[in-house]
Amino acid sequence: MSRETSPEPSESLPVSAVAASPVGRSTAERLHVAGLHAPGDAVLSVRDLNVRFNSENGVVHAVRGVDFDLLPGKTLGIVGESGSGKSVTSMAIMGLLPETAEVNGSVLLKGKELLGLSDKAMCKYRGKELAMVFQDPLSSLTPVYTVGNQIVEALTVHNPTMSKQAKEVRAAELLGMVGIPSPKDRLKAFPHEFSGGMRQRVMIAIAIANNPRVLIADEPTTALDVTIQAQVLEVLQKAQDETGAAVVMITHDLGVVAGIADDILVMYAGKPVEAGVVDDIYYNPRMPYTMGLLGAVPRVDISEKSSLIPIEGMPPNLVHTPTGCSFAPRCPLAGPECLTGEPPLRKVPGSSAHQAACVKAEALGGDVDVHDIFHAPPVPVSNFAGIPREDRKTVLELRDVKKHFPLMKGALLKRRIGTVKAVDGLSFDIREGECFAIVGESGSGKTTTLLEIMEFHKDQDGEVVIGGLSNKEAADSKTKFAMRKEMQMVFQDPTGALDPRFTVYEVLAEPLVNQGMGKSDIKKRIMELMRLVGLQPDHVNRFPNQFSGGQRQRIGIARALAVNPKLVVLDEPVSALDVSVQAGVINLLDKLRAELGLSYLMVAHDLAVVRHISDRVAVMYLGKIVEVGEVGRVFDNPRHPYTRALLSAIPVPDPEVERNRERIILEGDLPTPLDAPTGCNFVTRCPVYAALPEAKKQKCLTEEPPLEMISASRAAAQLEAETSTALDQRFACFFPDGDLDQSSLVSHASAGPHAP
Amino acid sequence: MFRYLAKRGITYVFMIFLTTSAGYLLAVSTLKPALLEQERIPRPTPEQVVNSLSLKGLNPELNPWERYVDWLTGIVTRWDWGRSPNGAFINAEFGDRVWISTRLFLASIILTLVIGVALGVYSAARQYKFSDRAITAYSYLAYIVPAPIAYFLVQLAAININDTLGKRVFFVTGISTPGMDPGWAQFVDMVAHYAVPTIAITLVGWGSYQIAQRQYLLDNVNADFVRTARAKGLTRNQAISRHALRVSFIPVAQSIAFTIPAIFAGGFFAEKIFAWPGVGSWSIDAISQQDVNAATATLAYGSVIFAIGAILADFATTLVDPRVRVQ
Amino acid sequence: MTNLNAVDPAAVAEEAHLEGHEVVINKSTIILRRFLRNKTAVAGLIVFVALTIFSFIGGFFTEWDKSKIDPFSIGMAPSSDHFFGTSQAGIDLYAQMVEGTRVSILIGLVVGLVSVLVAAVYGCTMAYFGGKVDKVMLFFLEALIMMPALLVVAVATNGGGGGSFKQALPSWLLLTIVLLVFSWMGTARLIRSMSMSLMSRDFVKAAQFMGVPARRIVWRHLVPNIGSLLVLDITRGVTAAILAEVTFSFIGIGIKVPDVSLGVLIGGATSQVQTYPWMFWVPLGAMFLLTGSLAMMNDGLRDAFDPSSSSVGKAKKKKKSTS
Repeated sequence: MSRETSPEPSESLPVSAVAASPVGRSTAERLHVAGLHAPGDAVLSVRDLNVRFNSENGVVHAVRGVDFDLLPGKTLGIVGESGSGKSVTSMAIMGLLPETAEVNGSVLLKGKELLGLSDKAMCKYRGKELAMVFQDPLSSLTPVYTVGNQIVEALTVHNPTMSKQAKEVRAAELLGMVGIPSPKDRLKAFPHEFSGGMRQRVMIAIAIANNPRVLIADEPTTALDVTIQAQVLEVLQKAQDETGAAVVMITHDLGVVAGIADDILVMYAGKPVEAGVVDDIYYNPRMPYTMGLLGAVPRVDISEKSSLIPIEGMPPNLVHTPTGCSFAPRCPLAGPECLTGEPPLRKVPGSSAHQAACVKAEALGGDVDVHDIFHAPPVPVSNFAGIPREDRKTVLELRDVKKHFPLMKGALLKRRIGTVKAVDGLSFDIREGECFAIVGESGSGKTTTLLEIMEFHKDQDGEVVIGGLSNKEAADSKTKFAMRKEMQMVFQDPTGALDPRFTVYEVLAEPLVNQGMGKSDIKKRIMELMRLVGLQPDHVNRFPNQFSGGQRQRIGIARALAVNPKLVVLDEPVSALDVSVQAGVINLLDKLRAELGLSYLMVAHDLAVVRHISDRVAVMYLGKIVEVGEVGRVFDNPRHPYTRALLSAIPVPDPEVERNRERIILEGDLPTPLDAPTGCNFVTRCPVYAALPEAKKQKCLTEEPPLEMISASRAAAQLEAETSTALDQRFACFFPDGDLDQSSLVSHASAGPHAP
Repeated sequence: MFRYLAKRGITYVFMIFLTTSAGYLLAVSTLKPALLEQERIPRPTPEQVVNSLSLKGLNPELNPWERYVDWLTGIVTRWDWGRSPNGAFINAEFGDRVWISTRLFLASIILTLVIGVALGVYSAARQYKFSDRAITAYSYLAYIVPAPIAYFLVQLAAININDTLGKRVFFVTGISTPGMDPGWAQFVDMVAHYAVPTIAITLVGWGSYQIAQRQYLLDNVNADFVRTARAKGLTRNQAISRHALRVSFIPVAQSIAFTIPAIFAGGFFAEKIFAWPGVGSWSIDAISQQDVNAATATLAYGSVIFAIGAILADFATTLVDPRVRVQ
Repeated sequence: MTNLNAVDPAAVAEEAHLEGHEVVINKSTIILRRFLRNKTAVAGLIVFVALTIFSFIGGFFTEWDKSKIDPFSIGMAPSSDHFFGTSQAGIDLYAQMVEGTRVSILIGLVVGLVSVLVAAVYGCTMAYFGGKVDKVMLFFLEALIMMPALLVVAVATNGGGGGSFKQALPSWLLLTIVLLVFSWMGTARLIRSMSMSLMSRDFVKAAQFMGVPARRIVWRHLVPNIGSLLVLDITRGVTAAILAEVTFSFIGIGIKVPDVSLGVLIGGATSQVQTYPWMFWVPLGAMFLLTGSLAMMNDGLRDAFDPSSSSVGKAKKKKKSTS
């Protein structure tokens, strides 16, 4: 659907009519939309919002003067990292902050002041005019009531006279609207019977139950898989079209808002630091922080030849009011003028709506290279770069590795009712200096694969060869000991992976002591490691909780490197980190690989990160590899329908690309591995299968497609002729070139003539 | 659901069998009724003692294992739990007393639960206010007073009330006045006898419920789903009473498993202090009478009560928490 | 929300200064400081220590002992001659109190410490081996929980008999042993579930993947991380044991005369509460001081160990550990 809804959309306006409204808009109109326009038009108008909390350490000034206007039917994206005050802002608007929080300023909803209203008075607006969707769908629904009950409650609160029957009909209608199949029956289901994505749909149904004027979505898709994220974003847009509500979309992901927002507000340290129309922010950022954020995110659609932009340091502690620009301590351009007084949001010359809070905003025009500003490190070149893959040594090889869990049922006498094929016949190898990534949705068996490799014992189904040591030949403690020297692991959650009672010294010493190293050698090695991962060596006496998330992950990497392994297994190494910190860790991993000649086996759900760092990639679905090959090939020319869907689901931080994209939305959730079909695993959700004629469908249902090379004829037809060596891309699909089912394609193309 | 309960039931039956057997073996090897018999006047000869005990199936000359097999055979084949050294039949004696105990506990269990949960909710709603502090302080106090001493203090208080009023309002011992005519007078008499023990057990028992319920409710007050409910347009108090309260019952329901045995144990002391001829006082007397069979029977009863408590807790949890309902 | 770990520029200078002196505060120092900041807990500690000292050296301040009869003062109210008065039989209550408090404290300490030790070993073993071993051990544990401890205590201490342990052991030791048998199960279950959740934590996995032997993992990672729980359970266990001693002795199935304990003194005085009230209220008061001071200490310790307790608002959010 289009975002071009008229300023006063009537609720009765049919969807098609909205869609048919003229696409594109004049520059003048665009400019009018953003920033500080006449509050009279705005449905929600926030002025100088300030929030303070009392904490043990002093008063935390979490939100410091937020201003924005939200026009009817428009979408405002609020972007910022954790601790930037974006969620607190939304909670303050909703009046849901604890009573101890001190909130000042003004929040006008259709001209009525909301701040200062009592809890009871606010209830007239909450859920009726103002609705909200929260981040964590798993805990946001009351576990003891049915879904229907919770939707009906939202109706009852604001429509006391509505009949019970009418409410139930409406509840079913809402569930259907957010795309839950057989809504009538599902009303009686409890939240725990729904997956995360389904629960988020229910949350949206509750939020739009009373046709709100303003819908606030606080990181609505952060906890979800990319394919589910695409579904939920689609539902949110549909909900916006149906109700004509204005949407405030809060996110840390610049990709999520690129396609759906009209305006963007970037927050840092509780303050808006840049605001403007979406294209201004993405294509012409004027605040170094925004520039850094955009440069810190890897792109899934382009193969980059440059390093990511790390923003050094950490956001300030909001207990102390910054005396200068709050970003100055991390800003490479900071000069003495930045340290005297916080710069206010000022208009960027040549634009009426674009504002930035930087004294140098004028100087930072479009032609400035952000890589120069932030001193992005040069792209590290590995010793192995020149050597063809076939000539390098193999560091890890998997041959037909399987992990099947029996599913038992029964009281006293347990009987086996099925098998969960978590990993089902995996084979791949990793060469020296190479990064191999496994991607897929949660539940696809990625992490199980890693654990199987780390386990390394004789009774495993399939062979694991690490540095020439096979689990089948010798899995005694001596071989295991040797194997542990070859391979180490970095965990997803840097906090959980470090014993809170160990100092950094003890953390790093543990593997060394275990290898029987002498005391003075250990000390020397630890100092070396600290420098290697970019930490101050004199911090070794600190406890993990005295470090930031990014630093903790560096400690985790240092620990993995302590014994000089050849192969490092990375389990989602950056997914728990903020965007700006993530870039630094990715650069570090890149550097270490080149300098130490490491190989990586990485599991990740963020395909952009995979594209940036990996050489080869395997796409997993229900325990099987469905497509594998060189990263550029797989990402630029995906053949398996699942890879295509996965790639198309990933939002790109580029509004233009996002607007013109055609998206494949997969149906439903990942099936449980128990219900895996006999033929191709993917048929239940496959958009190609859905469009196939009956005769061909049979083949997908009964035969299991093998993982094969691109056949010569097809390759010849499609690809450049210069392919002298065999293409490194294999996939498991009978009909890779089949047409996609039209109903699963969604496009928001608004390529109007005025699009920049 | 039914199968699940059946499975739990079987496990508990097995456990009861084990604890009872262990109890019997312990009792049979430590309790020596022959010693008491010898203190009689005129003093019986050792042969007479053995004969008299053998007649009741308590032959002290058999080794513990032989007696255990005899005893178990009696229960399994005839449901006969044996006899006391004084000749009384355990089955009959037990049947008389079990209702006295059950009546006493039932009222106390219900009152304890209702008052404890209600006060917990009330104090959570008034967190850090004076009433909350007073109620919670009382609960902590109840925790550091041994139950029988608390009962004794309640008994003292009741006596003081009677003395102050100059007439007998409460009976502090016994279960009824003998020779009452049926009807209103008998009912009043019953209430007057029940009041003090029931109040005593309840006063001591509710504390832990109050603390637990208060804690669980406070844990849920800031839960995400309460925030969702408020975002729908419910006031904070409405959201808490409709959503947080129900969820906070779940752990309380689980803890019923431990209340019922606890109140049962408290009942032992209560029967002793208030001189009620229930299972509890019987068991303690039985032990001082070196009565192996009676002691084992009461031990088995205790285990059964525990199992009932555990199954009831499962049941209550299923009732309040849809997540554990078995499809 | 707000990043509390964030380092603000203003504090960096200060930090740099501190670094020179290697001021990484020890965790136990932090806990001790927090405990000492809690006035109630310190008061509890002082009372408890005072009572313990009294029970060990109080005997030197009186010429009487627990069995000596003063024929000239029978049933006397407290006076300078007999600090707490005398019993119906003319025995000095002060002397009995010294002895009784000592016995009660000893039983409490022994049972509290040993039961936590047993629980730690049993619980960690269950969590460590898992599988069948865990199942069997859990069954045994639950069976023990099911046993009405009261009756077993009564049987053990009443068993009249030639060959029984009653003759061989003084009644206080016998009670200690029986209480020990029935006091460790709850803690063991808690330790089991805690260790199990620790075993699945990433830092334990990391150690396993490094090839650190299991023994070392238990000792270096598991034990320190359940340490705070163990300390809390010791104070809780001591309180529970003292209460159990008083309870059983009060109704006459625990410690038997001529041995003396607080429970014996309180129980023995119930019939004379109207005539010789001091005989009842003095030992009852001592018991309250003892259990009350322990409860206060326990509260302070829990706050000191709880990392979230420093912030005012979060002190109420003490989740019960999963069991």
